[in-house]
Amino acid sequence: MSRQKKSQGLPLWLIVLLVLLAAGGGFYSLHQNGGDASLRTTEELDPSIYYENANSLRGNTYKIDVEIDSALGNSPTKGRLFSVILKKASKNGAPVVLPVLVPLELGNLTIQKGQHYLMKVKVVENGLLKVEEARKP
Amino acid sequence: MMKRTLWDGSLAVFLITFGSVCAQIPNAQTIHETGQQYKEGNPLTGASDNLAIGSQAMFEANLKAKKNIVDMKPNTFLSLWNNPGFAIQFEKYLSAPAETSEDAKLYRQRMDKIMELLAPGNATKQNQDEAFNLLPLASEFESDANNCTTIHDAVYAAANARLQIQKLTEVDRALETQLSASQYNQLHEAQSLTLPSIAPGKNDVADNNANENELRTAKMDPSKSRVAVLKQTIQRNQAQIASAELQAKFALQSLILQLFVQRRYQHVIIIDRFYRALFDDGDQSLEQFAQMADKMGYNKAAGQVKLIADANPKGATAAGSGNNGPHGGVGASAGTGKDGAGASVGNDYYNNNNGMDASAISGSGLHMGVENLSVESAENAFVTGMKGASRTFKSLSQLDAFANEVIRDVNEGVKVYRFLLEKSEIESAASQLASVFTKGEYLPSVRLLSQDEKRKTLAYAQLCNRLVNAANSGNIDALSEVVSQMKQMNPSFDDAEILAKLQGVKTASSLLVAQAKVAASKGDLQVVQTQITRAAALWPNNPEVTNFSSEMSKLGNVARPEVQALADFDQFEGQHNYRQIFDDKEKYIAAIAMDDSTRKTMRQEKLRKVLARMQEIETSIMRSQEIARRGDDAGAWEGLEMTFSQYPDDQKLSQLRADLTTQAPDFVHDVRQAKSYEERKEYGSALAWYLRSQSRYPMSDLSKQGIQRLVRMIMPDAS
Repeated sequence: MSRQKKSQGLPLWLIVLLVLLAAGGGFYSLHQNGGDASLRTTEELDPSIYYENANSLRGNTYKIDVEIDSALGNSPTKGRLFSVILKKASKNGAPVVLPVLVPLELGNLTIQKGQHYLMKVKVVENGLLKVEEARKP
Repeated sequence: MMKRTLWDGSLAVFLITFGSVCAQIPNAQTIHETGQQYKEGNPLTGASDNLAIGSQAMFEANLKAKKNIVDMKPNTFLSLWNNPGFAIQFEKYLSAPAETSEDAKLYRQRMDKIMELLAPGNATKQNQDEAFNLLPLASEFESDANNCTTIHDAVYAAANARLQIQKLTEVDRALETQLSASQYNQLHEAQSLTLPSIAPGKNDVADNNANENELRTAKMDPSKSRVAVLKQTIQRNQAQIASAELQAKFALQSLILQLFVQRRYQHVIIIDRFYRALFDDGDQSLEQFAQMADKMGYNKAAGQVKLIADANPKGATAAGSGNNGPHGGVGASAGTGKDGAGASVGNDYYNNNNGMDASAISGSGLHMGVENLSVESAENAFVTGMKGASRTFKSLSQLDAFANEVIRDVNEGVKVYRFLLEKSEIESAASQLASVFTKGEYLPSVRLLSQDEKRKTLAYAQLCNRLVNAANSGNIDALSEVVSQMKQMNPSFDDAEILAKLQGVKTASSLLVAQAKVAASKGDLQVVQTQITRAAALWPNNPEVTNFSSEMSKLGNVARPEVQALADFDQFEGQHNYRQIFDDKEKYIAAIAMDDSTRKTMRQEKLRKVLARMQEIETSIMRSQEIARRGDDAGAWEGLEMTFSQYPDDQKLSQLRADLTTQAPDFVHDVRQAKSYEERKEYGSALAWYLRSQSRYPMSDLSKQGIQRLVRMIMPDAS
């Protein structure tokens, strides 16, 4: 008699807990995947093409995986200018250093040397890379 | 203070260097100047020799030029001006006023009156006396030059001779009467002579005959002597008569010819008519004059005085006619050659008595100038002149006809002159006037031309005079100017030959300059001097001669190192060849220190800048070389690149920069790409390249400066 009673399944409280955990994880996962969706569909910048003829890329948007190298300048009207190093080195192994302009719209970003960022950049006039979106991976 | 020390030190270095060079090559300047000749072992030419050579060259060149130009006679009128005697006389005439004064008018009236009184048909004894009395009156005027008085005296003397002849003739006639009587008396005495006819004895016959002869002689001697004396007296008188006539005729004929040569044709006609009146025996020949001329001796050893100058034009006339006889005929010719005149006459008169004399006259105008003048040679010339005249003119009729012809010709020439002048044909008009002046300077029609009528010719004549003078001086430029003026005044002036000669002389001068240049390139200064002197003598203002002299001065300065150094400095500085100046800086420092020209300050400033610049370049090079030795090729290149951007024209810097470029090619490429984009104002790309170059060589100043510069361009308000 007592053996029959032990085989009746999981207690209710555990099931509720599991349901809550699944719901929370799903929400979190859904939230996180929503911001990464635009970077996932954006093409990665080819630095060799950029170096050779940035004008030909003007107006295009690319994503870059970079590490902040140094701050080059800070303008109250245009934003901040940084040099960043692509995480992915060039074919010959030389580091690829690019200038990026972080506009005033992204002024809330805290950017420091050595930080790792995924950035969505647009090639604007004069071949400058203007950051449209940035987040830490 | 520092600068002063630098200059002084440099000067000392230069002086020491220069002194040592001079010590090694004694007399170096002389060797340089004498050039190749010295090297070839030719003896050095002294200054005096060079001077002599130059003088000789100048003399020869001058002669050549003068001969070339003076020999040309493109125009008739111009050729006259090659005779200075004529030129002076003619110019004086052109400047003289017309003889329209009352005195001149009265003189002409008296001359006309004399000629009228003596004209054929009017020459009665009374008219002859009146004309004779008018001669002294006509001679009162200056333009007559006392010729009428001379005629008056000669006619008077001839008339006296005629009187003497008449007296002697009358005496002779009386003596002949006396002689006839004496001869008759002598015959009568001879017929009435009584002598003892029988001798006393046979042996007394011889003595008796001797006594008879003595007696006969004693009785006949007085009458014989008287007859002989009368005969001798008559013969002597006849000789005196002949001599007096001969002398009188000769005197007048000589005067006629003299006046003819003087071109006093009116006087010739006057005295000719007096002559005919005085010697009315029908003998019009100049035989006495010819005989006298033939009898005069000629001293061959003395040579002959030469009269030089030829007034030109050369006249010639000829006449001839036959007399309808079977063999009668006459020929005459006259002509002017290049250097003289000639005349010849031929007739058949003496062989056939059926022709007439021909006449042939050739004149050669006015001769002036004397050569080989001495008493003997002058006598020879006089004799030759007399003989020539006696052969040219055979009779007074010829002279008279010729004088009349000349007067007519001159009068016509004056009319032609006025016409040509009116038509502005200056050359022809001037030639015509010169011709009438030469032929009949003293004729009224010539003397009556007004100053206004002669003014154009005077101006043209003066130009001609200047032309000849310019030609004689050998001044090509002056000659060209005069030719131009003549052409302007007289468009018909034939300047082709003159211009051709001028061009020839100019070309010759230029060729001599070219030869001088060739000689200069060989260092043959003697030939240079000779040729350039000749060139200058031919064409003193030849610009090539002037330029050559300037070049020679420069060549001469080569012998002075400091002058050459200054010239080199100016040249290198002008060419921006600062490296060359820097390499020989000691020389230029010393030369500029010794520079005593007004450019010294400017040169000093330039040299200072050059040295500062080169110092910076050299420092950069040394620094880069040191960096490169440490293996930092990019750093070495960058150091040079920064200096190179300031001084891109330095060869050494450029070469070293090129060498280092190959040592750090990636870095150099990045920097150059960055600069390229920066110049194209693609600041984003340029910044990317600078960042890249900086990543390769983090110590790069170029990259750092570029980045800073571009950040300011992208964000002018960046902090």
